[in-house]
Amino acid sequence: MDKFFYLITEGVKNVWRHKVTAFTAMFSLFVALYIVGVLATAGNNAHKILYYLRSKYKIEVFFKQDVSNEQAVGIIHKIKKIEGIRSATIIEKEDAIRIFKDQFGENIEELLGYNPLPASAVINIERNRRDQLVIETMIKEIRKIKQVDEIRYQGNLINKIERNFKKMMDYFPYASIVIILISILIIYNTIKLSVYSRRDLIETLQLIGASRTFIKFPFVIEGVLIGAISAILVAPALLFSVNAMNYVISRFSSFNIKISYDPMILFWMLVTVVLIALIGSYRAASGFLK
Amino acid sequence: MIEFQNASYAHNKGYGLNNLNMSIDEGEFTFLIGPTGSGKTTLMRLIYFDIIPDSGIVKINGFSSPGITQKKIAMARQSIGMVFQDYKLLKDRNLFDNVALPLHVLGFKSSEIPDRVDEALDLVGLEGKEGHYPYELSGGEQQRASLARAIIKEPDVLLADEPTGNLDPVSSFELVRLLETIHETGTTILMASHNYNLIKGRGRQILELKNGQLRIR
Repeated sequence: MDKFFYLITEGVKNVWRHKVTAFTAMFSLFVALYIVGVLATAGNNAHKILYYLRSKYKIEVFFKQDVSNEQAVGIIHKIKKIEGIRSATIIEKEDAIRIFKDQFGENIEELLGYNPLPASAVINIERNRRDQLVIETMIKEIRKIKQVDEIRYQGNLINKIERNFKKMMDYFPYASIVIILISILIIYNTIKLSVYSRRDLIETLQLIGASRTFIKFPFVIEGVLIGAISAILVAPALLFSVNAMNYVISRFSSFNIKISYDPMILFWMLVTVVLIALIGSYRAASGFLK
Repeated sequence: MIEFQNASYAHNKGYGLNNLNMSIDEGEFTFLIGPTGSGKTTLMRLIYFDIIPDSGIVKINGFSSPGITQKKIAMARQSIGMVFQDYKLLKDRNLFDNVALPLHVLGFKSSEIPDRVDEALDLVGLEGKEGHYPYELSGGEQQRASLARAIIKEPDVLLADEPTGNLDPVSSFELVRLLETIHETGTTILMASHNYNLIKGRGRQILELKNGQLRIR
Protein backbone atom coordinates (compact mmCIF):
# COMPACT_ATOMS: atom_id res chain seq x y z
CA MET A 1 0.00 0.00 0.00
CA ASP A 2 2.91 2.35 0.85
CA LYS A 3 4.32 1.72 -2.60
CA PHE A 4 0.98 2.54 -4.24
CA PHE A 5 0.65 5.82 -2.35
CA TYR A 6 4.27 6.64 -3.11
CA LEU A 7 3.66 6.18 -6.84
CA ILE A 8 0.53 8.36 -6.76
CA THR A 9 2.37 11.03 -4.77
CA GLU A 10 5.28 10.84 -7.21
CA GLY A 11 2.93 11.42 -10.13
CA VAL A 12 1.49 14.50 -8.45
CA LYS A 13 4.92 15.74 -7.32
CA ASN A 14 6.29 15.33 -10.84
CA VAL A 15 3.86 17.97 -12.08
CA TRP A 16 5.30 20.40 -9.55
CA ARG A 17 8.92 19.28 -10.05
CA HIS A 18 8.67 19.92 -13.77
CA LYS A 19 6.59 23.04 -13.61
CA VAL A 20 7.78 24.46 -16.92
CA THR A 21 7.25 21.22 -18.87
CA ALA A 22 3.91 20.65 -17.14
CA PHE A 23 2.80 24.22 -17.81
CA THR A 24 3.83 23.97 -21.48
CA ALA A 25 1.95 20.68 -21.81
CA MET A 26 -1.10 22.13 -20.06
CA PHE A 27 -1.04 25.20 -22.28
CA SER A 28 -0.83 23.12 -25.48
CA LEU A 29 -3.60 20.85 -24.25
CA PHE A 30 -5.66 23.84 -23.17
CA VAL A 31 -5.41 25.47 -26.62
CA ALA A 32 -6.24 22.20 -28.40
CA LEU A 33 -9.20 21.51 -26.09
CA TYR A 34 -10.41 25.10 -26.29
CA ILE A 35 -10.53 24.88 -30.08
CA VAL A 36 -12.42 21.59 -29.86
CA GLY A 37 -14.77 23.14 -27.28
CA VAL A 38 -15.44 26.19 -29.44
CA LEU A 39 -16.06 23.95 -32.41
CA ALA A 40 -18.44 21.73 -30.46
CA THR A 41 -20.28 24.75 -29.04
CA ALA A 42 -20.52 26.26 -32.52
CA GLY A 43 -21.88 22.99 -33.88
CA ASN A 44 -24.32 22.82 -31.01
CA ASN A 45 -25.58 26.36 -31.63
CA ALA A 46 -25.37 26.63 -35.41
CA HIS A 47 -29.01 25.60 -35.86
CA LYS A 48 -30.10 28.48 -33.61
CA ILE A 49 -28.84 31.00 -36.16
CA LEU A 50 -30.68 29.18 -38.90
CA TYR A 51 -33.86 28.93 -36.83
CA TYR A 52 -33.61 32.62 -36.10
CA LEU A 53 -33.20 33.49 -39.77
CA ARG A 54 -36.06 31.17 -40.68
CA SER A 55 -38.28 32.95 -38.19
CA LYS A 56 -37.73 36.04 -40.34
CA TYR A 57 -38.72 34.35 -43.60
CA LYS A 58 -42.17 35.56 -44.64
CA ILE A 59 -44.40 34.60 -47.51
CA GLU A 60 -47.18 37.05 -48.38
CA VAL A 61 -50.06 35.50 -50.25
CA PHE A 62 -52.61 37.84 -51.88
CA PHE A 63 -55.95 36.38 -52.75
CA LYS A 64 -58.06 37.36 -55.73
CA GLN A 65 -60.20 40.48 -55.39
CA ASP A 66 -63.46 38.53 -55.23
CA VAL A 67 -62.35 36.32 -52.33
CA SER A 68 -64.26 37.28 -49.20
CA ASN A 69 -62.84 37.30 -45.69
CA GLU A 70 -64.76 34.12 -44.87
CA GLN A 71 -63.45 32.36 -47.97
CA ALA A 72 -59.94 33.53 -47.11
CA VAL A 73 -60.18 31.81 -43.71
CA GLY A 74 -61.00 28.56 -45.47
CA ILE A 75 -58.06 28.95 -47.87
CA ILE A 76 -55.73 29.63 -44.97
CA HIS A 77 -56.72 26.32 -43.39
CA LYS A 78 -55.64 24.64 -46.64
CA ILE A 79 -52.36 26.54 -46.68
CA LYS A 80 -51.60 25.54 -43.10
CA LYS A 81 -51.75 21.87 -44.12
CA ILE A 82 -48.87 22.29 -46.59
CA GLU A 83 -45.70 20.65 -45.32
CA GLY A 84 -43.17 23.10 -43.94
CA ILE A 85 -45.64 25.82 -43.02
CA ARG A 86 -45.81 26.68 -39.35
CA SER A 87 -48.54 29.34 -39.28
CA ALA A 88 -50.61 31.56 -41.50
CA THR A 89 -52.27 34.78 -40.40
CA ILE A 90 -55.13 36.31 -42.29
CA ILE A 91 -55.13 39.97 -43.20
CA GLU A 92 -58.76 40.80 -43.88
CA LYS A 93 -59.75 43.40 -46.46
CA GLU A 94 -60.48 45.92 -43.64
CA ASP A 95 -57.08 45.28 -42.08
CA ALA A 96 -55.52 45.98 -45.47
CA ILE A 97 -57.19 49.44 -45.54
CA ARG A 98 -55.75 50.15 -42.09
CA ILE A 99 -52.28 49.02 -43.07
CA PHE A 100 -52.47 51.12 -46.25
CA LYS A 101 -53.44 54.16 -44.17
CA ASP A 102 -50.59 53.51 -41.72
CA GLN A 103 -48.09 53.34 -44.57
CA PHE A 104 -49.40 56.03 -46.95
CA GLY A 105 -51.59 58.24 -44.71
CA GLU A 106 -54.64 57.94 -46.99
CA ASN A 107 -57.88 56.02 -46.60
CA ILE A 108 -58.10 54.28 -49.97
CA GLU A 109 -61.76 53.30 -49.49
CA GLU A 110 -62.76 56.97 -48.99
CA LEU A 111 -60.65 57.98 -52.01
CA LEU A 112 -62.02 55.40 -54.43
CA GLY A 113 -65.45 54.85 -52.90
CA TYR A 114 -64.76 51.11 -52.58
CA ASN A 115 -62.08 48.82 -51.14
CA PRO A 116 -59.73 47.64 -53.91
CA LEU A 117 -57.42 45.78 -51.52
CA PRO A 118 -57.69 41.98 -51.45
CA ALA A 119 -57.61 39.74 -48.39
CA SER A 120 -54.18 38.25 -47.89
CA ALA A 121 -52.20 36.00 -45.58
CA VAL A 122 -48.77 36.18 -43.96
CA ILE A 123 -47.18 32.76 -43.79
CA ASN A 124 -44.43 31.69 -41.42
CA ILE A 125 -42.25 28.74 -42.12
CA GLU A 126 -41.58 25.81 -39.85
CA ARG A 127 -38.14 26.68 -38.55
CA ASN A 128 -37.13 23.83 -36.22
CA ARG A 129 -35.96 21.36 -38.78
CA ARG A 130 -32.36 20.38 -39.40
CA ASP A 131 -32.65 19.61 -43.12
CA GLN A 132 -32.54 22.14 -45.93
CA LEU A 133 -35.75 23.96 -46.49
CA VAL A 134 -36.81 24.21 -50.14
CA ILE A 135 -39.20 27.14 -50.31
CA GLU A 136 -40.12 26.57 -53.97
CA THR A 137 -41.93 23.35 -53.06
CA MET A 138 -44.20 25.27 -50.68
CA ILE A 139 -44.74 28.07 -53.18
CA LYS A 140 -45.72 25.52 -55.82
CA GLU A 141 -48.29 24.02 -53.44
CA ILE A 142 -49.72 27.47 -52.58
CA ARG A 143 -49.93 28.38 -56.28
CA LYS A 144 -52.12 25.32 -56.85
CA ILE A 145 -54.88 27.08 -54.88
CA LYS A 146 -57.12 28.75 -57.49
CA GLN A 147 -58.02 31.78 -55.34
CA VAL A 148 -54.38 32.80 -54.93
CA ASP A 149 -53.49 35.81 -57.04
CA GLU A 150 -49.96 36.76 -56.07
CA ILE A 151 -47.20 35.43 -53.83
CA ARG A 152 -44.38 37.60 -52.57
CA TYR A 153 -41.28 36.14 -50.89
CA GLN A 154 -37.52 36.62 -50.79
CA GLY A 155 -36.74 33.46 -52.72
CA ASN A 156 -33.15 34.21 -53.67
CA LEU A 157 -32.12 35.24 -50.19
CA ILE A 158 -33.81 32.28 -48.52
CA ASN A 159 -32.28 29.84 -50.98
CA LYS A 160 -28.84 31.34 -50.49
CA ILE A 161 -29.10 31.06 -46.68
CA GLU A 162 -30.42 27.51 -46.82
CA ARG A 163 -27.85 26.39 -49.40
CA ASN A 164 -24.90 27.86 -47.54
CA PHE A 165 -26.04 26.47 -44.22
CA LYS A 166 -26.39 23.02 -45.72
CA LYS A 167 -22.93 23.30 -47.25
CA MET A 168 -21.52 24.32 -43.87
CA MET A 169 -23.28 21.46 -42.09
CA ASP A 170 -22.05 18.99 -44.74
CA TYR A 171 -18.42 19.96 -44.17
CA PHE A 172 -18.71 20.40 -40.43
CA PRO A 173 -18.26 16.71 -39.44
CA TYR A 174 -15.15 16.37 -41.64
CA ALA A 175 -13.64 19.59 -40.34
CA SER A 176 -14.43 18.50 -36.78
CA ILE A 177 -12.79 15.11 -37.30
CA VAL A 178 -9.65 16.74 -38.72
CA ILE A 179 -9.44 19.24 -35.84
CA ILE A 180 -10.14 16.58 -33.23
CA LEU A 181 -7.49 14.30 -34.77
CA ILE A 182 -4.97 17.14 -34.78
CA SER A 183 -5.85 17.88 -31.15
CA ILE A 184 -5.41 14.24 -30.21
CA LEU A 185 -2.00 14.23 -31.91
CA ILE A 186 -1.00 17.42 -30.09
CA ILE A 187 -2.13 16.02 -26.74
CA TYR A 188 -0.43 12.68 -27.39
CA ASN A 189 2.85 14.22 -28.51
CA THR A 190 2.88 16.79 -25.72
CA ILE A 191 2.61 13.98 -23.17
CA LYS A 192 5.24 12.02 -25.07
CA LEU A 193 7.65 14.97 -25.05
CA SER A 194 7.07 15.47 -21.35
CA VAL A 195 8.02 11.81 -20.75
CA TYR A 196 10.97 12.09 -23.16
CA SER A 197 12.41 14.97 -21.17
CA ARG A 198 12.72 12.61 -18.24
CA ARG A 199 14.23 9.55 -19.87
CA ASP A 200 17.15 9.82 -17.40
CA LEU A 201 14.65 9.09 -14.61
CA ILE A 202 13.43 6.02 -16.49
CA GLU A 203 17.01 4.85 -17.02
CA THR A 204 17.95 5.36 -13.36
CA LEU A 205 14.82 3.59 -12.12
CA GLN A 206 15.56 0.66 -14.39
CA LEU A 207 19.11 0.43 -13.10
CA ILE A 208 17.83 0.39 -9.54
CA GLY A 209 15.61 -2.56 -10.39
CA ALA A 210 12.21 -0.88 -10.60
CA SER A 211 9.52 -2.89 -12.31
CA ARG A 212 7.98 -1.55 -15.51
CA THR A 213 4.74 -0.78 -13.66
CA PHE A 214 6.63 1.12 -10.97
CA ILE A 215 8.28 3.26 -13.65
CA LYS A 216 5.17 3.88 -15.75
CA PHE A 217 2.61 4.50 -13.02
CA PRO A 218 3.75 8.03 -11.95
CA PHE A 219 3.96 9.08 -15.61
CA VAL A 220 0.38 7.93 -16.14
CA ILE A 221 -0.80 9.80 -13.02
CA GLU A 222 1.10 12.89 -14.18
CA GLY A 223 -0.32 12.69 -17.71
CA VAL A 224 -3.87 12.19 -16.47
CA LEU A 225 -3.47 15.08 -14.02
CA ILE A 226 -2.14 17.44 -16.71
CA GLY A 227 -4.95 16.38 -19.07
CA ALA A 228 -7.65 16.78 -16.41
CA ILE A 229 -6.37 20.21 -15.26
CA SER A 230 -6.27 21.43 -18.88
CA ALA A 231 -9.82 20.20 -19.53
CA ILE A 232 -11.09 21.76 -16.31
CA LEU A 233 -9.43 25.08 -17.19
CA VAL A 234 -11.19 25.04 -20.55
CA ALA A 235 -14.59 25.20 -18.77
CA PRO A 236 -14.35 28.82 -17.52
CA ALA A 237 -12.60 29.88 -20.74
CA LEU A 238 -15.41 28.45 -22.82
CA LEU A 239 -18.06 29.90 -20.54
CA PHE A 240 -16.39 33.29 -20.75
CA SER A 241 -16.22 33.07 -24.57
CA VAL A 242 -19.91 32.13 -24.79
CA ASN A 243 -20.89 35.02 -22.51
CA ALA A 244 -18.68 37.43 -24.46
CA MET A 245 -20.23 36.22 -27.71
CA ASN A 246 -23.74 36.67 -26.31
CA TYR A 247 -22.82 40.17 -25.18
CA VAL A 248 -21.46 41.07 -28.64
CA ILE A 249 -24.57 39.64 -30.36
CA SER A 250 -26.99 41.43 -28.08
CA ARG A 251 -25.06 44.70 -28.11
CA PHE A 252 -23.87 45.02 -31.69
CA SER A 253 -26.30 43.02 -33.79
CA SER A 254 -30.01 42.80 -34.37
CA PHE A 255 -30.01 39.03 -33.94
CA ASN A 256 -32.08 37.76 -31.09
CA ILE A 257 -30.01 34.67 -30.42
CA LYS A 258 -28.55 33.36 -27.19
CA ILE A 259 -25.66 30.95 -27.56
CA SER A 260 -25.80 28.22 -24.96
CA TYR A 261 -23.08 26.17 -23.38
CA ASP A 262 -23.59 22.47 -22.96
CA PRO A 263 -21.78 21.03 -19.90
CA MET A 264 -21.77 17.64 -21.62
CA ILE A 265 -19.20 19.00 -24.08
CA LEU A 266 -16.85 19.57 -21.18
CA PHE A 267 -17.62 16.17 -19.70
CA TRP A 268 -16.78 14.39 -22.96
CA MET A 269 -13.67 16.50 -23.44
CA LEU A 270 -12.53 15.58 -19.93
CA VAL A 271 -13.15 11.88 -20.52
CA THR A 272 -11.41 11.97 -23.91
CA VAL A 273 -8.38 13.93 -22.79
CA VAL A 274 -7.92 11.76 -19.70
CA LEU A 275 -8.07 8.67 -21.89
CA ILE A 276 -5.60 10.09 -24.42
CA ALA A 277 -3.27 11.24 -21.64
CA LEU A 278 -3.49 7.83 -20.01
CA ILE A 279 -2.73 5.93 -23.19
CA GLY A 280 -0.17 8.53 -24.35
CA SER A 281 1.84 8.57 -21.13
CA TYR A 282 1.68 4.80 -20.78
CA ARG A 283 2.87 4.23 -24.33
CA ALA A 284 5.51 6.96 -24.15
CA ALA A 285 6.97 5.60 -20.91
CA SER A 286 6.90 2.08 -22.40
CA GLY A 287 8.73 3.40 -25.46
CA PHE A 288 11.64 4.63 -23.38
CA LEU A 289 11.92 1.44 -21.37
CA LYS A 290 14.58 -0.92 -22.60
CA MET B 1 28.30 -14.91 -6.99
CA ILE B 2 29.43 -13.47 -10.36
CA GLU B 3 30.38 -15.88 -13.08
CA PHE B 4 31.26 -15.57 -16.77
CA GLN B 5 31.34 -18.76 -18.83
CA ASN B 6 32.78 -18.25 -22.32
CA ALA B 7 30.84 -15.00 -22.51
CA SER B 8 31.29 -12.93 -25.66
CA TYR B 9 29.71 -9.71 -26.68
CA ALA B 10 30.37 -7.62 -29.77
CA HIS B 11 29.20 -4.04 -30.25
CA ASN B 12 27.97 -2.96 -33.64
CA LYS B 13 31.34 -1.38 -34.39
CA GLY B 14 33.10 -4.68 -33.80
CA TYR B 15 34.86 -4.25 -30.45
CA GLY B 16 33.64 -5.99 -27.31
CA LEU B 17 34.50 -8.94 -25.14
CA ASN B 18 35.69 -12.28 -26.40
CA ASN B 19 35.16 -15.64 -24.73
CA LEU B 20 35.45 -14.36 -21.18
CA ASN B 21 35.73 -16.71 -18.20
CA MET B 22 35.90 -15.43 -14.67
CA SER B 23 34.41 -15.92 -11.27
CA ILE B 24 34.08 -13.61 -8.29
CA ASP B 25 33.16 -15.24 -5.03
CA GLU B 26 30.86 -13.89 -2.36
CA GLY B 27 32.46 -11.27 -0.15
CA GLU B 28 35.37 -10.52 -2.49
CA PHE B 29 36.60 -7.07 -3.38
CA THR B 30 37.87 -7.12 -6.94
CA PHE B 31 39.29 -4.38 -9.09
CA LEU B 32 38.85 -4.40 -12.81
CA ILE B 33 41.41 -2.37 -14.67
CA GLY B 34 42.13 -1.65 -18.26
CA PRO B 35 42.64 1.29 -20.57
CA THR B 36 39.73 3.34 -21.86
CA GLY B 37 37.81 1.31 -24.44
CA SER B 38 39.08 -2.01 -23.18
CA GLY B 39 35.57 -3.21 -22.38
CA LYS B 40 35.26 -2.55 -18.63
CA THR B 41 31.86 -0.90 -18.98
CA THR B 42 30.71 -3.65 -21.37
CA LEU B 43 31.66 -6.22 -18.75
CA MET B 44 29.78 -4.30 -16.06
CA ARG B 45 26.72 -3.95 -18.29
CA LEU B 46 26.78 -7.70 -18.88
CA ILE B 47 26.71 -8.25 -15.13
CA TYR B 48 23.63 -6.13 -14.54
CA PHE B 49 22.02 -7.47 -17.72
CA ASP B 50 21.90 -4.15 -19.50
CA ILE B 51 23.22 -6.19 -22.40
CA ILE B 52 23.01 -9.94 -22.88
CA PRO B 53 26.04 -11.91 -24.15
CA ASP B 54 25.97 -12.98 -27.79
CA SER B 55 27.28 -16.33 -26.64
CA GLY B 56 28.21 -17.90 -23.33
CA ILE B 57 26.63 -17.34 -19.94
CA VAL B 58 26.73 -14.60 -17.32
CA LYS B 59 25.46 -15.48 -13.85
CA ILE B 60 24.89 -13.31 -10.84
CA ASN B 61 23.14 -14.12 -7.56
CA GLY B 62 21.39 -17.10 -9.10
CA PHE B 63 20.20 -15.18 -12.16
CA SER B 64 21.51 -16.44 -15.45
CA SER B 65 21.66 -14.56 -18.77
CA PRO B 66 20.19 -17.12 -21.21
CA GLY B 67 16.52 -16.34 -21.76
CA ILE B 68 16.35 -13.84 -18.90
CA THR B 69 13.13 -11.82 -18.87
CA GLN B 70 12.69 -8.10 -18.11
CA LYS B 71 11.00 -9.03 -14.85
CA LYS B 72 13.95 -11.21 -13.81
CA ILE B 73 16.39 -8.46 -14.82
CA ALA B 74 14.57 -6.03 -12.51
CA MET B 75 14.71 -8.62 -9.71
CA ALA B 76 18.42 -9.25 -10.30
CA ARG B 77 19.16 -5.53 -10.15
CA GLN B 78 17.33 -5.22 -6.86
CA SER B 79 20.14 -7.21 -5.28
CA ILE B 80 22.87 -5.20 -7.01
CA GLY B 81 24.04 -1.76 -6.00
CA MET B 82 25.49 0.36 -8.79
CA VAL B 83 27.73 3.39 -8.87
CA PHE B 84 28.54 5.15 -12.11
CA GLN B 85 31.11 7.68 -13.26
CA ASP B 86 28.32 10.17 -14.03
CA TYR B 87 26.55 9.46 -10.70
CA LYS B 88 23.11 9.15 -12.34
CA LEU B 89 21.46 11.16 -9.57
CA LEU B 90 18.06 12.60 -10.35
CA LYS B 91 18.51 16.33 -10.70
CA ASP B 92 14.92 17.14 -9.79
CA ARG B 93 15.05 15.44 -6.39
CA ASN B 94 16.95 16.25 -3.26
CA LEU B 95 19.49 13.96 -1.68
CA PHE B 96 16.93 12.33 0.60
CA ASP B 97 14.62 11.44 -2.28
CA ASN B 98 17.52 10.20 -4.42
CA VAL B 99 18.88 7.93 -1.73
CA ALA B 100 15.43 6.70 -0.67
CA LEU B 101 14.48 5.69 -4.20
CA PRO B 102 15.67 2.04 -4.05
CA LEU B 103 13.73 1.55 -0.82
CA HIS B 104 10.51 2.65 -2.51
CA VAL B 105 11.28 0.29 -5.39
CA LEU B 106 11.69 -2.54 -2.90
CA GLY B 107 8.43 -1.61 -1.19
CA PHE B 108 9.78 -0.51 2.19
CA LYS B 109 7.29 1.02 4.63
CA SER B 110 7.47 4.78 4.52
CA SER B 111 8.04 4.88 8.28
CA GLU B 112 11.27 2.87 7.94
CA ILE B 113 12.76 4.97 5.17
CA PRO B 114 14.00 8.12 7.00
CA ASP B 115 16.15 6.15 9.47
CA ARG B 116 17.70 4.09 6.71
CA VAL B 117 18.45 7.17 4.62
CA ASP B 118 20.08 8.87 7.61
CA GLU B 119 22.16 5.78 8.22
CA ALA B 120 23.33 5.59 4.61
CA LEU B 121 24.14 9.30 4.47
CA ASP B 122 26.05 9.06 7.76
CA LEU B 123 28.11 6.23 6.35
CA VAL B 124 29.18 8.23 3.30
CA GLY B 125 29.67 11.43 5.28
CA LEU B 126 26.74 13.41 3.89
CA GLU B 127 24.74 13.78 7.08
CA GLY B 128 22.79 17.03 7.23
CA LYS B 129 22.68 17.39 3.43
CA GLU B 130 19.39 15.55 2.90
CA GLY B 131 17.66 18.61 1.51
CA HIS B 132 20.40 19.48 -0.98
CA TYR B 133 19.87 18.97 -4.68
CA PRO B 134 22.60 17.30 -6.77
CA TYR B 135 23.62 20.62 -8.34
CA GLU B 136 24.32 21.96 -4.86
CA LEU B 137 26.89 19.23 -4.19
CA SER B 138 30.50 18.85 -5.32
CA GLY B 139 31.51 15.99 -7.62
CA GLY B 140 32.88 14.00 -4.69
CA GLU B 141 29.70 14.53 -2.70
CA GLN B 142 27.55 13.53 -5.64
CA GLN B 143 29.52 10.33 -6.02
CA ARG B 144 29.14 9.60 -2.32
CA ALA B 145 25.41 10.26 -2.65
CA SER B 146 25.33 7.80 -5.52
CA LEU B 147 27.15 5.32 -3.28
CA ALA B 148 24.64 5.90 -0.47
CA ARG B 149 21.83 5.14 -2.92
CA ALA B 150 23.62 1.96 -3.99
CA ILE B 151 24.19 0.62 -0.48
CA ILE B 152 20.93 1.66 1.18
CA LYS B 153 19.23 -1.53 0.09
CA GLU B 154 22.13 -3.58 1.48
CA PRO B 155 22.94 -5.24 -1.83
CA ASP B 156 24.76 -8.53 -2.14
CA VAL B 157 26.92 -7.09 -4.91
CA LEU B 158 28.16 -3.58 -5.47
CA LEU B 159 29.30 -2.64 -8.96
CA ALA B 160 31.26 0.57 -9.35
CA ASP B 161 32.00 1.56 -12.93
CA GLU B 162 34.80 4.14 -12.97
CA PRO B 163 33.39 5.79 -9.84
CA THR B 164 36.47 7.99 -9.51
CA GLY B 165 36.52 9.01 -13.16
CA ASN B 166 35.28 12.53 -12.46
CA LEU B 167 36.89 12.99 -9.05
CA ASP B 168 40.09 14.63 -7.90
CA PRO B 169 42.79 12.37 -6.36
CA VAL B 170 41.75 13.10 -2.75
CA SER B 171 38.07 12.41 -3.38
CA SER B 172 39.02 9.30 -5.37
CA PHE B 173 41.11 7.99 -2.52
CA GLU B 174 38.30 8.69 -0.02
CA LEU B 175 35.80 6.89 -2.20
CA VAL B 176 37.93 3.77 -2.43
CA ARG B 177 38.35 3.85 1.35
CA LEU B 178 34.59 4.09 1.66
CA LEU B 179 34.14 1.09 -0.62
CA GLU B 180 36.57 -0.83 1.57
CA THR B 181 34.50 0.07 4.63
CA ILE B 182 31.36 -1.17 2.90
CA HIS B 183 33.18 -4.35 1.87
CA GLU B 184 33.88 -5.04 5.54
CA THR B 185 30.14 -5.58 6.01
CA GLY B 186 30.34 -8.56 3.64
CA THR B 187 29.32 -6.91 0.38
CA THR B 188 30.90 -8.28 -2.78
CA ILE B 189 32.43 -5.41 -4.71
CA LEU B 190 33.64 -5.10 -8.27
CA MET B 191 35.15 -1.75 -9.10
CA ALA B 192 36.29 -0.81 -12.59
CA SER B 193 38.97 1.81 -12.99
CA HIS B 194 41.66 2.83 -15.44
CA ASN B 195 43.69 4.38 -12.62
CA TYR B 196 46.10 1.67 -11.56
CA ASN B 197 47.87 3.89 -9.04
CA LEU B 198 44.65 4.25 -7.09
CA ILE B 199 44.11 0.52 -6.59
CA LYS B 200 47.59 -1.00 -6.46
CA GLY B 201 48.93 -2.22 -3.16
CA ARG B 202 45.57 -2.73 -1.52
CA GLY B 203 45.83 -6.49 -1.40
CA ARG B 204 42.76 -7.06 -3.57
CA GLN B 205 42.28 -9.25 -6.61
CA ILE B 206 42.92 -7.23 -9.75
CA LEU B 207 41.54 -8.34 -13.09
CA GLU B 208 43.00 -6.73 -16.15
CA LEU B 209 40.99 -6.33 -19.30
CA LYS B 210 42.89 -5.74 -22.52
CA ASN B 211 41.60 -6.08 -26.08
CA GLY B 212 38.55 -7.95 -24.87
CA GLN B 213 40.58 -10.53 -22.97
CA LEU B 214 40.78 -10.91 -19.19
CA ARG B 215 43.74 -11.87 -17.04
CA ILE B 216 44.53 -11.81 -13.33
CA ARG B 217 47.21 -9.32 -12.48
